Amino acid sequence: MILIVSTCRYRLSEREFVEPIIEIVKENGYKYHVKRSHEKLNLENYSGIIICGTALMDFDYLKHLKNFKELKNYSGKVLGICAGYQLLAKIYDNQLEKIEKIGVYSVKVVQENPLASGEFRAYFLHVLALSRTRNLEILAKQGNEIAMFKVPGKNFYATSFHPEVFNKTVIENFLNIV
Amino acid sequence: MKVCVLYSGGKDSSLALLEASRFFNVVCLVTLLPESEESFLFHYPNVRLVELQAKALGLPLILRKTGDEEVASLESLYNALREAKDLYGVEGVVTGAIRSTYQASRFQRVCWKLRLWCFNPLWLKDEVSLLRKILDYGFEVIFTRVAGYPLKKSLLGRRLDQRIIDFLARYRNYVNPSGEGGEYETLVLDMPLFRKKLKILEYEVTGRDYDATLIVKRAELVEK
Repeated sequence: MILIVSTCRYRLSEREFVEPIIEIVKENGYKYHVKRSHEKLNLENYSGIIICGTALMDFDYLKHLKNFKELKNYSGKVLGICAGYQLLAKIYDNQLEKIEKIGVYSVKVVQENPLASGEFRAYFLHVLALSRTRNLEILAKQGNEIAMFKVPGKNFYATSFHPEVFNKTVIENFLNIV
Repeated sequence: MKVCVLYSGGKDSSLALLEASRFFNVVCLVTLLPESEESFLFHYPNVRLVELQAKALGLPLILRKTGDEEVASLESLYNALREAKDLYGVEGVVTGAIRSTYQASRFQRVCWKLRLWCFNPLWLKDEVSLLRKILDYGFEVIFTRVAGYPLKKSLLGRRLDQRIIDFLARYRNYVNPSGEGGEYETLVLDMPLFRKKLKILEYEVTGRDYDATLIVKRAELVEK
């Protein structure tokens, strides 16, 4: 069972940021539950967690950071997308920077990983991201920005871009991690 | 939240309007009128009919002319949305973008610049399912432009129905079933939020198979 976490303040945004993820999870034959970032997550019931992105104007999810801190004790796999990337970065004590990136840009994988390889184009929609880190493994970059990272010692991955747009295989590869 | 809808009068922006109206208070429509069909961002044929559609919806309309070039289009969009914000207290913008990152990223940038929320309720949805939804909701939609194989001139003026949806689904390798790449354009004559519906009184068809346009010369609102 996969837990899909919505970070959206408004339900209408879920059409855009959560429903496409649900479709990919369903297409790949996985069962899922959807919870919202302000809810108690009860992580032990799930084999994997996807934390979805949200609208550019939405920063409400950062108010619910403490709900996500239990992730540190979670032994399954996690994929953070955009807002999910930001939450994972914060949980592991990284300082988000004002990096505005809206549109299609090229991403270069810099460390071998099970989600993506080589160079590919991806859709970005954020105003916060990381360009440096002391405790996360950098997997891919877009210019100076860290486009993908992994939490060392965990199956926790994050993308600053939206893989549901051009890079569904990133999500499929994540789902297939045993 | 008070929102405006980027409205072309076609099926996608009308469906986005209907979806948004279930969550938010839609307070106005914003339409940009391109100089020609070469516009990168906005739909062309019959866009002036949005004046009638706005009346049918009982919503104020901000209708502004724009050049075809990208910079001019974006500047016009910025000004029109700023007007919507100032005049009607709009906090969010709804678009009918489905898969075009070209359109979506430009709308997102302008909205962010104005600190407006941007909502794209049709984003990444299966195009054929959206067409079915439009029929299920009781929309009355006609084709007003075809631009590419296998869309023949005879499609112009025809109502969107299950047979046409099946046809578009069958040819989805040749044509985007939603027409988002400009393969075809539509006009909504009726939808659940219209208080009256559009009746076409006079029209003209120009062009040939795979490249033809239906121009509505006269239309009026009639009781539903």
